[in-house]
Amino acid sequence: MALASLLADERLLLGAENAVDSGGPIRPQIDPAQPYAPRTPHFAPRARNVLVIFCSGALSHVDTFDYKPELIKRHGEAMPGGELVTFQGENGALTRSPYAFRPRGECGKMTSDLLPQLGELADEMCFIHSVTSKTNTHGPGENFMSTGFTLDGFPSMGAWTSYALGSENADLPAFVAIPDPRGVPQSSQNNWGPGFLPAAFQGTAFNAERPIRHLARPGDVAAEADTAARELVNELNTRHLERFPGDTELAARIASYELAARMQLSVPEVSDLSSEPETIWRMYGADDSENKVKAGFARNCILARRLIERGVRFVQLFNGAYAMGEGVGNWDGHKKLREQYDVHGPILDQPAAALLRDLRQRGLLEETLVVFCTEFGRMPTFQKDASGRDHNPAGFTCWLAGAGVKAPFSYGATDDFGHRAVENAAVAHDFHATILHLLGLDHRRLSYYHNGIERRLTDVHGHVIHDVLA
Amino acid sequence: MLRFGLITVQAALAAAAAFSLGTGTLVCGAEPAERAAVDRVIDFARDVEPILAEHCYGCHGPAKRESNYRLDRRDVATAGGDFGEPAIVPGDSDASPLVQYVSGDGDIVMPPEGPPLDDAAVAILRAWVDQGAVWPDDRAGGHADALTTDHWSFQPLQRPQPPQIDDPWVANPIDAFIAARLAEADLSPSPAGDRATLIRRLYLDMHGLPPTPEEIDTFAADEGPTAYARLVERVLASPHYGERWARHWLDVVRFAETNGFETNTPRPTAWHYRDWVIESLNADLPYDRFVMHQLAGDAMGADRATGFLVGGPYDTVKSPDVALTLMQRQDELADIVNTTGTALLGLTLGCARCHNHKFDPVLQEDYYSLQAIFAGVKHGERPLPRGDEEQRRQQAAAIRAEIASVDRAVDNLEPLARVDENAPNPVRPRVNSRRNVDRFAPVEFRFLRFVALATTANFEPCIDELEVYSAEEPQRNLALAAPGISLTSSGDYPGNTKHQLVHLNDGSYGNDRSWISNTAGTGWAQIEWPQPVVADRVVWGRDRQEEFSDRLATDYRIEVALVPGAWQIVAASADRVPYESAASSEGETEEGSRAAARSELLARREKLIDALTTLEQGQRVYAGVFEQPETTHRLYRGDPMAPREPVAPDALQVISRLGLSDETPDQQRRLKLAEWIASPDNPLTARVMANRIWHYHFGTGLVDTPSDFGASGGVPSHPELLDWLACELIDSGWSLKHLHRLILLSATYQQHSTPHEAGLAVDAQTRLLWRFPPRRLEAEAIRDCMLAVTGKLDSRMGGAGFSFFEPNDNYVRVYEPKQSFGPEEWRRMIYATVVRMERDAVFGAFDAPDAGQVCPRRPRSTTPLQALNLLNSPFVLRQAELLAERLRREAGEESTAQVRRAFALALGRAPDDQELARSRSVVEQHGLETFCRAVLNLNEFLFVP
Repeated sequence: MALASLLADERLLLGAENAVDSGGPIRPQIDPAQPYAPRTPHFAPRARNVLVIFCSGALSHVDTFDYKPELIKRHGEAMPGGELVTFQGENGALTRSPYAFRPRGECGKMTSDLLPQLGELADEMCFIHSVTSKTNTHGPGENFMSTGFTLDGFPSMGAWTSYALGSENADLPAFVAIPDPRGVPQSSQNNWGPGFLPAAFQGTAFNAERPIRHLARPGDVAAEADTAARELVNELNTRHLERFPGDTELAARIASYELAARMQLSVPEVSDLSSEPETIWRMYGADDSENKVKAGFARNCILARRLIERGVRFVQLFNGAYAMGEGVGNWDGHKKLREQYDVHGPILDQPAAALLRDLRQRGLLEETLVVFCTEFGRMPTFQKDASGRDHNPAGFTCWLAGAGVKAPFSYGATDDFGHRAVENAAVAHDFHATILHLLGLDHRRLSYYHNGIERRLTDVHGHVIHDVLA
Repeated sequence: MLRFGLITVQAALAAAAAFSLGTGTLVCGAEPAERAAVDRVIDFARDVEPILAEHCYGCHGPAKRESNYRLDRRDVATAGGDFGEPAIVPGDSDASPLVQYVSGDGDIVMPPEGPPLDDAAVAILRAWVDQGAVWPDDRAGGHADALTTDHWSFQPLQRPQPPQIDDPWVANPIDAFIAARLAEADLSPSPAGDRATLIRRLYLDMHGLPPTPEEIDTFAADEGPTAYARLVERVLASPHYGERWARHWLDVVRFAETNGFETNTPRPTAWHYRDWVIESLNADLPYDRFVMHQLAGDAMGADRATGFLVGGPYDTVKSPDVALTLMQRQDELADIVNTTGTALLGLTLGCARCHNHKFDPVLQEDYYSLQAIFAGVKHGERPLPRGDEEQRRQQAAAIRAEIASVDRAVDNLEPLARVDENAPNPVRPRVNSRRNVDRFAPVEFRFLRFVALATTANFEPCIDELEVYSAEEPQRNLALAAPGISLTSSGDYPGNTKHQLVHLNDGSYGNDRSWISNTAGTGWAQIEWPQPVVADRVVWGRDRQEEFSDRLATDYRIEVALVPGAWQIVAASADRVPYESAASSEGETEEGSRAAARSELLARREKLIDALTTLEQGQRVYAGVFEQPETTHRLYRGDPMAPREPVAPDALQVISRLGLSDETPDQQRRLKLAEWIASPDNPLTARVMANRIWHYHFGTGLVDTPSDFGASGGVPSHPELLDWLACELIDSGWSLKHLHRLILLSATYQQHSTPHEAGLAVDAQTRLLWRFPPRRLEAEAIRDCMLAVTGKLDSRMGGAGFSFFEPNDNYVRVYEPKQSFGPEEWRRMIYATVVRMERDAVFGAFDAPDAGQVCPRRPRSTTPLQALNLLNSPFVLRQAELLAERLRREAGEESTAQVRRAFALALGRAPDDQELARSRSVVEQHGLETFCRAVLNLNEFLFVP
């Protein structure tokens, strides 16, 4: 079936000449002087903003949200179907999660004790248990989840979104990436890069601890001198423009200095968490003096909420960083899963759960789509001679919450052990198609011409998963 | 899939009748799960053709040929469409996609919309195929179309006659083509810009650097008729031309000096390719040679040029997973094929990896033919033949010997290890991942073991080499593998050939030849000698090549024994500075004289290492390694797990064939393709390059999709001009400088850039060139111009680059931007080491490509981050200070002179009264630096006028 509609998709591309009528490509018209001006979606959207929580390192679905009684029952047995060689090599026996599962939420969804507070919000969540990836290495896996391609250099989901829709807030970037307090994810800025889209649509990276680079007036430049320099730039540029009447690029550069000035006020304002009441700090765990990484991630979560609140179109919040090595600062639990997840679970759980609850209590979930994802899942077996799980792109869990999403709901399933998606298998392209759909965008039509091809976030693939829509 | 015999059931006759097939005896399966079957002889014209006509021709017939598949022609119907698979396998309906698709048994369902074929129709098709798919000649519908194309870019080049234009404006034939087209749009060309504009445009365009005020004055004062032509010659002869235009080519070929993907580790010898491009452009290497060297330079004495082949990303994360490994290799080859296609031919060949190209005359088979050309190319370094190998080898050996003697001298400064309980405060330096020395009083033993008790991050400990030195001179490593010396350990890291016990004493350093234990944080390795030995030191490290710093034993002891079991500790970590302590504590524990001696030795060592690196990088080049490839197969839908028929190396069949075979040696394959591409008969090569040259001069190509000359690419705005330029390129002996000269001397190029309403109304994009289209400079040129204006530009050419990032040796590289830049980083930006996917923190925001994908045309966006970077980055602020210093030096303390000098340097003109007054007031009230900061942010400074 997938291929039949693949062909159908490509037929659409052929009709490029009369785009709208034929269902051909739609390239948003960008005013160079106002690249972030809000633009109309293709049809009525269900969501206006997106918040992505990206768990870097491959969060194990069999230890969190994909409950497999058969895996518990057959703990210690060999996996049926013969020996499997996966990313790091041979696998050992089926191994149940070290974390117990119990029913949570009104809906009684079975989730594990690793992330109990997130589990308690199961009623808000629409689980997709059958996501698959095309690769089992981290860099390409992150690329695939964030850009739809395993290779480097393609535009990220957030870049596509800001390209398509612009921003609702004239004083903040349309797309913000919030790296984990421990550092950047494995594919680093390719997760929020513009690829071949204009640089205007790249994610601006900052978090509660590290502000936007070069944002603030340098310490050794006096305020009056700063103002004087800007005014001089503006005056001389305006005079220069008089010699080139109607030149949009020159006008756009003048406008960009104005937006930069507004950002210098608005970004510190949004990043200043001191105005948040103590109850909020406590709710997120931002005041946790025992666990500094958790407190740092919690502050990033508060920042994410403040950005969403101010109409930032796309916020990508990372949990986990790679530089510290395998599984140390991220979810890559190859060898010592229990030991490492015991550290990572508390860092993620309370802050992320608080973020979801806070969005709900402020009514922001009505308009915000929350996407919880990772690059792939992990094996139901432990690796041979190790106490952790290898990479598994054949079936893993992501969830959606908020605007336009059916919840509580579980879609798709892996096999008895959590190894492969066997019911409603979904590629990341389907996941992306669904996200764009909720934003009022047709993933088959939102396109950008690059080097011979009308490029799309979903390449030539992808189906909206209608079953998960409210 | 089940196989069915014929089932004869009379009851199904009704179904046959309903399908109105006349008198045939059609017999179907009675049970719903069974298939309908037919036991009569099927006649194509009577039985099959009507079904195809009714259900299929609508999309796969004479009018529409979806997926290039049509069922009204026997050849095509049998051979299949864009998936490149036979659709009909005579005698085997189960293996025939045609039957699978219409019966619902395949992964595609046909027809995609509307009612499916009923059981009876399916049964007939099935029976027809099983009976041999007899399709009589009189119904064959003509042969499959030979692969031809009438697309403009594939047509042979013919030199067009320039239009006859009687206009004194016309300076050369380019102008005739331009003027004729403008006239069609009721537009006329603009007069030439003034001298200051012309020289500034020329320098920024050709050098990416502004002219000096003195150069401007000289040109303005030269009223001779050949002044401009002479200026053009000077500009073309300058080596800055190669530095500027090489950057354009590096965009087109996705050049970077790191591997990309998650590890993104450096390629320290990749810069040779960048230098080769610069030198080749400066020398005006004929473009046909330029092409051939990049594909087969190893056969032509141009080894550096093959950096082109492996300039793309390379996934260094390897796995025992077969499917992953095959896919990684396919991705590598796809990168080479795609880059060759887009850069040299303007074709998006990558589209044919999974199926025949949707728009262009490129079959899936062609893609794999081209892949076979490159199948012997692998990423990697190889020796760079330069003729002075022996001399360099000797130099390197001498340096290495000197490093070893420095190392010994450093070792001798090392205090003896203290293993007694009441040893004083730590006296020995903390362990480091590169190399550690444990000295002790000479001791005799037959067994020695290194016992790791704790490691960084509690990973299994790693030792790349364990050396045990004799107490007597000359010192020698007693542990080096030799007959009788045996190794044992607590356990070895499973399943990895890099980390075996034999590597402990194999004399090879580095992670790839190291031992790792199999227990977290602990483990021991033991050496046993056949006879007792006397030693006084042990030297060990985690990775002496300094790539890795994890898995370091931070707590350890070294024990020896003369007889089994009688262990005696000779050294341990207890008297070292604890690993976790603050960095400064080392110096404090060392006496002054010893510390001074050590730092002197280490400084000496660093210099030696630098010299060695330069020597060795000069001897090696990241330009691919070549081997005779295995047979290439077409892959069904690009899936490496689904190989189909073998494919011989070849070129694109729509143009011409090479006649190579599976036996053709790797180098010959590339050489033959190179000749084919670099031929004057290839309709694409010269057109594509002529268009690129135009693109970079005017900001937009005659074809505005410079790497896509296929059917979905742009239509040429001036097709005859493009062909004329392509012919000029070929007929000049493929001289790029000849093309530059033609363009630069044209009146078209010399027009002023002021817009007017009539032009904007008809042609806002300025594609017709009724004026010169001004544009913002690229990232590199902006930075270079700043350095030129402040006078700090370091004009050293070539060699290893400088870095925008702090040093880092993590397994997964972390590229943290440097905060301050000094003279080391004041070279032209083309000499900055290009890190894939990590743009420079200041200028990257100006649409610098990330080298993840090819970049034939940079977007030109305008963002607030650009403004912030130019206003507030330490780099620009420092340049503002340096500009202020220069102004004071050259113009004195008087603000009028300072402002005038600044305008001359940065904008190439004098300020008008109002500009002067405003600028002076800023200088006087807020300081010269404030004014300079503003100057470096001006639109006029950043634009090609």
